Amino acid sequence: MLHHNRLRRGLPVACATAVALVLAAGCASRASTAPAGGNKNASTSKTLVIGASVSLTGDFSDSGKAVQRGYQLWADTVNAKGGILGRKVKMDIVNDASSPNQVVTNYQNLINKDHVDLTFGPFSTLLTIPAAQVAKRYGYAFLAPAGGGPKVFEQNLNNFFFVQPAPTTQAGDVFAAYILSLPAAQRPKTAAYAELDDPFSAPIAENIRQKFEAAGIKTVYKQVYPSETADLSPVMGAIAAKHPDVIVGGTQNQDAYAQVKSLVQLKYNPKFMFLSNGANSPLEFPDKVGAANTAGIFSASDWFPGSTAAGSAAFTTAYINKYGGTAQKVDDSSAEAFAAGQLVEAVASQTHKVDNATIISTLHSGSWPTLLGNLSWSANGAPNGEFNLVQWESGKLVPVFPTKIAQAAPVAPKPNWGG
Amino acid sequence: MHALVQGIILGILTAGVYALMASGQTLIFGIMKVVNLAQGAMVILAAYLSYQLFASFGIDPFLAIPITTAALFVVGVLVELLFLRPLRKEDRSELSLLVTFAVALLLEGIMSVVWSTNVRSINTTYADASWTVFGYQITLVRLWAFLLSLAALGGLYLLLNRTRFGRAVRASVQNPESARLLGVQASRISAIGFGIGAATAAAAGSVFGLLYPFNSGSHYDLISKLLSIVLLGGLGSIGGAVVGAGIISVSSAVVASTVSPIWSDMTFFIVLLLVLLVRPRGLFGASARGAI
Repeated sequence: MLHHNRLRRGLPVACATAVALVLAAGCASRASTAPAGGNKNASTSKTLVIGASVSLTGDFSDSGKAVQRGYQLWADTVNAKGGILGRKVKMDIVNDASSPNQVVTNYQNLINKDHVDLTFGPFSTLLTIPAAQVAKRYGYAFLAPAGGGPKVFEQNLNNFFFVQPAPTTQAGDVFAAYILSLPAAQRPKTAAYAELDDPFSAPIAENIRQKFEAAGIKTVYKQVYPSETADLSPVMGAIAAKHPDVIVGGTQNQDAYAQVKSLVQLKYNPKFMFLSNGANSPLEFPDKVGAANTAGIFSASDWFPGSTAAGSAAFTTAYINKYGGTAQKVDDSSAEAFAAGQLVEAVASQTHKVDNATIISTLHSGSWPTLLGNLSWSANGAPNGEFNLVQWESGKLVPVFPTKIAQAAPVAPKPNWGG
Repeated sequence: MHALVQGIILGILTAGVYALMASGQTLIFGIMKVVNLAQGAMVILAAYLSYQLFASFGIDPFLAIPITTAALFVVGVLVELLFLRPLRKEDRSELSLLVTFAVALLLEGIMSVVWSTNVRSINTTYADASWTVFGYQITLVRLWAFLLSLAALGGLYLLLNRTRFGRAVRASVQNPESARLLGVQASRISAIGFGIGAATAAAAGSVFGLLYPFNSGSHYDLISKLLSIVLLGGLGSIGGAVVGAGIISVSSAVVASTVSPIWSDMTFFIVLLLVLLVRPRGLFGASARGAI
């Protein structure tokens, strides 16, 4: 009887724990497009199955979902044209919950259990590093639309192709080029650098710092903050106390929003402000910091609405038709994911093959047109091009530098907070 | 010097918010000897409720506090009734860690399903407003949050020291057997106490949503900070939670402003370790039962 009572009293606790564990496990489980059990016969079926692990929950979920939209849109678009070499394309997308452990498990399952034909990459350098190694181990080409930090290329994997115009750490070089192109009287004299401790973020700001210091722009503040820092007010307060002309943020998403909000609260408005990531999200950035506070902020981007690059107009139309909104609301990450698919299409079109060995050998030579521009790679998968400088002007994110792609002139000095 | 003073101002104002969150946690420990690992998740739940009330009905997060407080009180009472009460008294302290962590995961899962994992923030017209005083910026939201925290903590003090319920709570803490013999219903006190502890998360959650972007996973960073605060102040001591929040918040802000943000979080752990070496029960932790 005693045991029975204990059991009965313990039952709700056990149930709660079980429900919690099930929910937690669900966060890192299969996401959406794959049927239960995966596509076990993918390699023998006519359908071309492409596996990708994407962060649909966790820290990278905003960008991860944008990547998912890009992959799926490309698959829908190419299927509407009859598929690749007569084979329909199916995306097998699983959720890694932004976890570097889960991403390894996911790609091992995609390759060994689901037997996908090709693999596309996840979001972020953190996840791309181990994921590319798994793909390499099994001879898969790895087209990665995100995750181009230095450590990715240090692996020297010949199966890896970073589907952006340049390595991520060079994303800020175009801002440095713009600043150094200004007449000496208009150039900033002092600079502050607030950098997220992340392989994607801090190196971008460091590259800019080296170029600025070489050009005589004095560094008055430089600090790296850990990723779990929710409150950046003390950091931005210290920067405001130094009155720098330019603030360079080596940022991801949340910290970019926090930097802007803190500066608004501190009423410090620099002449120039560059945020490596976060500010290039047309949807999230104005929502998080207030549309009026975006004016004049620079960021780097590879795709922009109105681009004349290959397939950009068709991508934009298809995106709006499928997901709604406007061209201004399209996330770069979706365009980059779409470009990964364009490369597979291009290789198949040229070689009439769509296997991993062909993709690897073919992409290593020549230049390949995508909606991000023409892409080519070094032996380690590092792309050889450059990013575009974009700026928030009148509530829109527009390309402003280099001049050949500019849709508007850069606005400097930065307007006051609140427009 | 300017950065130092600005850091101190920021630290003091932010301390109010953390004190509010931690006071609920320490109250729950004082009454039930339960370390509530779901307190951070409850703060985030309150932030989501405030966000939804603001986004859907335009209700200001500060004005929404009575609604979120009532909702979180109910959540707290339900957690106590469904998950904690069935635990055997002698195992409660140990098992409550697992159970409240499971509750935190459960709440996180529910929030992920309802609101997705996208980062949210509450952008009112005054969210970024600040006053300039002698060249230093006083953020309006932080100031209001600080004053709100003082009011809420004052209310909590009055509830515990000037009401019949408060006397019953203190009696239960000091001598549960005697309290029971005198007619105090310990189970009722526990349920209401847990509800009040959760309700303090409501006010803090509204303010948290105004100050920081958040998503369902934000509670992990929060709970580590809250545990540090209540350990520093002394488990079960509301005054200790206030002092602990002040020390941790100010030291973090000052170190981040003047030394390095990398050392910021490290600093309060060093302070915590030093205090625990000298006073293992925290600054205001009682060596015997009897203090809240």
